[in-house]
Amino acid sequence: MTGHSNNPSSRRSFLKGTTGAGLGVAAASTGVLASVNQGRAAEGEPIPVGQGTMMSGWGAADGLEFKNGLEMAAEEINAMGGILGRPIEPHFVDTREGGPDTVIQAFQRLIDRENASAIICGYNLATLEAEYDVIADAGIVYTHTNTSLIHHERYNGDPDRFFGCFQTDPSEYWYGEGLLNYLAGLRDTGQWTPANNKIAIVAGAQNYSIVIGNSVRDNAQRYGFEISFYDTVQIPISEWGPTLAKVREDPPGVICITHYAPADLANFMLQFAPNPTPSLVYMQYGPSLAQFREIGGEAVNGVLYATVIANLQDERGNDFVARYKAKFGESSSPASGVQTYDACHLWAIAAAVAGGAGNPYDGDDQNRRVADQMRRIVHRGICGAYHFVENGAMTYPAQTNDPSLGMPHQFLQVQDFMRTPVMVGPQPYAVADFETPPWIS
Amino acid sequence: MSGWKRDLPIGLVVLAALIAAPAFGLPRFWITTVTVFFIWATVVSQWNLVFGVAGIFSLAQMAIFAIGGYTTAMMGLYLEWSLWLALPVSGLLAVVFGAVVGLACLRLTGAYVALLTLAIAYILFLLIVTDTDCVYYEGTVCRSLTEGWKGLGRYGDYGFRDLFGRDFHLGNYGLALAVLTLATLFSFAIVRSPMGLAFRALRDNPGYAVSRGVSRFKYQLLVFALSAFFTGLAGSVYAGVFSVIGPNVLQLGLLLFLLSMMVVGGVGRPWGPLIGAALLMLVDETLKEEAFAGYRNIGLGLILAAVVVLLPQGLAGGIDNLARRLARRGGGAPGE
Repeated sequence: MTGHSNNPSSRRSFLKGTTGAGLGVAAASTGVLASVNQGRAAEGEPIPVGQGTMMSGWGAADGLEFKNGLEMAAEEINAMGGILGRPIEPHFVDTREGGPDTVIQAFQRLIDRENASAIICGYNLATLEAEYDVIADAGIVYTHTNTSLIHHERYNGDPDRFFGCFQTDPSEYWYGEGLLNYLAGLRDTGQWTPANNKIAIVAGAQNYSIVIGNSVRDNAQRYGFEISFYDTVQIPISEWGPTLAKVREDPPGVICITHYAPADLANFMLQFAPNPTPSLVYMQYGPSLAQFREIGGEAVNGVLYATVIANLQDERGNDFVARYKAKFGESSSPASGVQTYDACHLWAIAAAVAGGAGNPYDGDDQNRRVADQMRRIVHRGICGAYHFVENGAMTYPAQTNDPSLGMPHQFLQVQDFMRTPVMVGPQPYAVADFETPPWIS
Repeated sequence: MSGWKRDLPIGLVVLAALIAAPAFGLPRFWITTVTVFFIWATVVSQWNLVFGVAGIFSLAQMAIFAIGGYTTAMMGLYLEWSLWLALPVSGLLAVVFGAVVGLACLRLTGAYVALLTLAIAYILFLLIVTDTDCVYYEGTVCRSLTEGWKGLGRYGDYGFRDLFGRDFHLGNYGLALAVLTLATLFSFAIVRSPMGLAFRALRDNPGYAVSRGVSRFKYQLLVFALSAFFTGLAGSVYAGVFSVIGPNVLQLGLLLFLLSMMVVGGVGRPWGPLIGAALLMLVDETLKEEAFAGYRNIGLGLILAAVVVLLPQGLAGGIDNLARRLARRGGGAPGE
């Protein structure tokens, strides 16, 4: 952890200096694989790679994109010669609504039956990171985007045993502090004049939402804010009357909703819009899905939201989006698929540099080498820079003020519900300025 | 042939096969899956006593299961007890909780029992997921009593990892099988006992049963409390096998999956929940294959609908009916 930053680099200076280097790193990342392969074709014995993903149930929309991302990465890697001439071969198991028992069974199946050398996942629901023991027993590498502080607790409990467990995005905790940092920046640079310094927190009854809500609550004072109320709502929720009554009774400068189901959030905006308060509305993740804009229509214009893992809206990100949509259709969601796409590239490069991937239950020496390389390499993926501390990716700018070492905590705003939301922070990745929401102006 | 004379040999053959299965090279993945089957089969065999035999439409079984699991986890984490010691304590606390639920339902019947017990389970779920107040600090990290949505971990296990090394999963398999065996014996004994007759009398004709001196108060409390013991033990085994316990065990999807096991197997029949659990877990595992992705809910729904329409007494009922017909044709005495 390199400390907190209130002074991120300007876009221009970064473009002059670091972006060139960043793109160089990006080119080098894919180039590393091709050069280590020394022109070999991927013709050897396949290396099985597993993924336990939500192919049914309410998480399937994301889960199927995670599958797409891994398939796309595998094709590209194999086209570059695989891992030292061995193609990678993805295998998938449905993890449905999650839970430790379901996810552990799925992983055990991938390891025992498919002989998976690595398991590359997006997020699974409510696993409580119990699957780490399955990974450790088999001595393989596992990447996921559970976005959870639990990863750090589990990993720090026994780093030697959980050497192969990587969280390829920052934990949810940083959403809270990152939001406060961003809001303070908007306020201090005059881009937004808050009606007052109050924040109303509305969390869904789920760990992810509550951790983020608590983080906002616990750090608000340091950034010059105070909490007007902290409400926990049962999910799913479509009737926001009681929450809106509290908001309207004491209008806050910011309404911070840490629940993330897009339909529920769209309903909030539909019920908020007829009688709005002069509050900036921040929401978690859900607005990134088209469903949010389809249901909310014009009422969602001006909503601010954030994610710590999605494609950047730069040259490489736009190129990825175009290729992904060409392959999986216009209605696909590259922002989800990119999670496993990036992770698979990172693992493949590390495995190639380490001399190949190890097998499960075959001693863990080779996979330890692979994990060591993953920790050493700073990989510039489509989502930003992957650099692991405690086997977890760092976030920029809350954890490090160096954008080439952290994954940007992306702030996006719905400025026109007919179009893809635009990235308004942090610099140097932002592509548009923050706009005061229409109900305030 | 009827009763114990039929069931005991069948039970012993099944038990012998399950004990021998790992020795015949059953892969680790299947051992893990069958261990989960043992846990769920234990829960539904006890739920069947309340729901099927006594006819009380309770949906509190997973709340009782959670009490067992959380008790074990808290004993291990906060009191640093061995999980072996926490195992019976979890069963006993589950009994207390089950009796309280039984008391709360005493004046209710039918769907109202379902509503109240579902509400109890949901309240338990909400109490856990909204539990964010610090009870102590670990360094600078705030710890709440139940650790909210993320659940409890780091409380240890049953020690099979130290005992068997890489083959620790065989220990989990054995423990879960032992609990299921005892729970099954217990449920058969209850069903075949005068107490079972009283449960059934209250289910089939409560007015007549009460007029003949069968105490509804006594037997409703008894069935809730007795069935809670092994359900609590199953929760404790789950907590030890997976080394984590969280509020996900209280989610409606899992509750309905277990209820389906009972319906498919045959509500009120001692073998029913075991047959239903085995079939649905097998189908569920098959439908996890990539080729069947997206068909899981449809597949399970079709099986449930087919059984309700074609075999209203479940698979166990269908097997019984078939056995009776064959016995009649052969001139033998009909089975139970």
